[in-house]
Amino acid sequence: MLKIRRIYNARWRHKKKKGILFIFLLFLVFVRFSKGSLYKDFYYYISKPFWPGQFQREVISKSLDQEFLIKSKQLEKDNKRLRELLSLQRLSDSDTISAAVISRKNGSWWRQIILNKGSKDGVEVGSPVIGPGGLLGRVKSTSFLTSSVILLTSPESKVGVWIDRVQTQGLLVGTGNDYPKLIFYTKDVDVKVGDFVSSSPASTLLPPNIPVGIIQSVDKKSNSKKTVNVLLLGKPQAIDWVQILKVKI
Amino acid sequence: MDKFFKKNLSVISFIFIPILFLWHPNWLGIMRIQPYWPLFWLLPWSMIYGPINGLIVGLFLGIILDSISIGGGFTQIPGLILSGIWFGRFTKDNNTLVAHFRYGLLCAIGSFLCGSLYSLQFFIQDSPDNKLLLFFPSVKNVLAQVFLTGLFAPLFCSQLFGLFKRSK
Repeated sequence: MLKIRRIYNARWRHKKKKGILFIFLLFLVFVRFSKGSLYKDFYYYISKPFWPGQFQREVISKSLDQEFLIKSKQLEKDNKRLRELLSLQRLSDSDTISAAVISRKNGSWWRQIILNKGSKDGVEVGSPVIGPGGLLGRVKSTSFLTSSVILLTSPESKVGVWIDRVQTQGLLVGTGNDYPKLIFYTKDVDVKVGDFVSSSPASTLLPPNIPVGIIQSVDKKSNSKKTVNVLLLGKPQAIDWVQILKVKI
Repeated sequence: MDKFFKKNLSVISFIFIPILFLWHPNWLGIMRIQPYWPLFWLLPWSMIYGPINGLIVGLFLGIILDSISIGGGFTQIPGLILSGIWFGRFTKDNNTLVAHFRYGLLCAIGSFLCGSLYSLQFFIQDSPDNKLLLFFPSVKNVLAQVFLTGLFAPLFCSQLFGLFKRSK
């Protein structure tokens, strides 16, 4: 039988530690209002010796090949379709910020990565983050030295995407596992396994045509909508370097 | 200075829980899911200092962990508070084997409580369309986390228990 504590003795509180407790409470308030930026900046310094090197090409080369193939196809189509609209956004090197992943939580509910670039480097909340393969997520918050990115697999992530083959838009919703769901709010969409998913031209959160993933399986049809599983091209578990896009949508 | 550190080792170790939470060592997890780290600290603390202190520290832990994780409108505070109160009702067993088993069991149940309460917030706040989509991943996350927390609890909790006892 588990022995239950019957008489509670609050010795800890009666000791003369009010000063320490007060400082601790102040610390808590500070952490709360700074959204943990102190911790993230502290983590920046203590994790610095362990930041990733540049030897991960083998791990990501497959994703890169896929990305380039899909991207070139997409650009070719875009050139034909949008020849008259050359004033579309174009990203040059100066519009991106390279950053290393210094903390990675890509399991359970909290699916986020922390990057070693923050507001000091010009990172803004809402900026899209891409890695080898494609889109990874968006910057959710920044501290002076770091920025936190919400991944596409997070249950809170919802972004508009585009299926180019059938010229249809859908909503990519993170579900807390590695395969986010793509929801079409019409049951008659002719999507197939292998269809390429990119960011939507109509999205107000992301620039258009960033590779996102490939349709992996199609769920059973429900009355009013269709859901499919998406295999993401960007693999947050293997990526150590990312690009933060500085674009105004 | 040395005496100060020895006396306040438990409070100092508290500061490092969020660091561990951010570090997220993947090699310790299953399916990239980690044990629920704060419970390893909360259990020995609450067992030594009682349910009220468990409640207060659960609240503090929740506030800090919510601050560093992207959680939007979701919070870990209710689960940690309830776990803190519940853990405070138990004392350490003299039999080492039973004590270790108890750490594992209590942490596993605490993890189930925290995980379920966190998932429940998704179901309450999310749109009806997404509720079903989130159900199975949530169950998987909760079960994996419960298993890992229960597995590692005897190792971490026994060490922390000794540390807290010495610094009391």
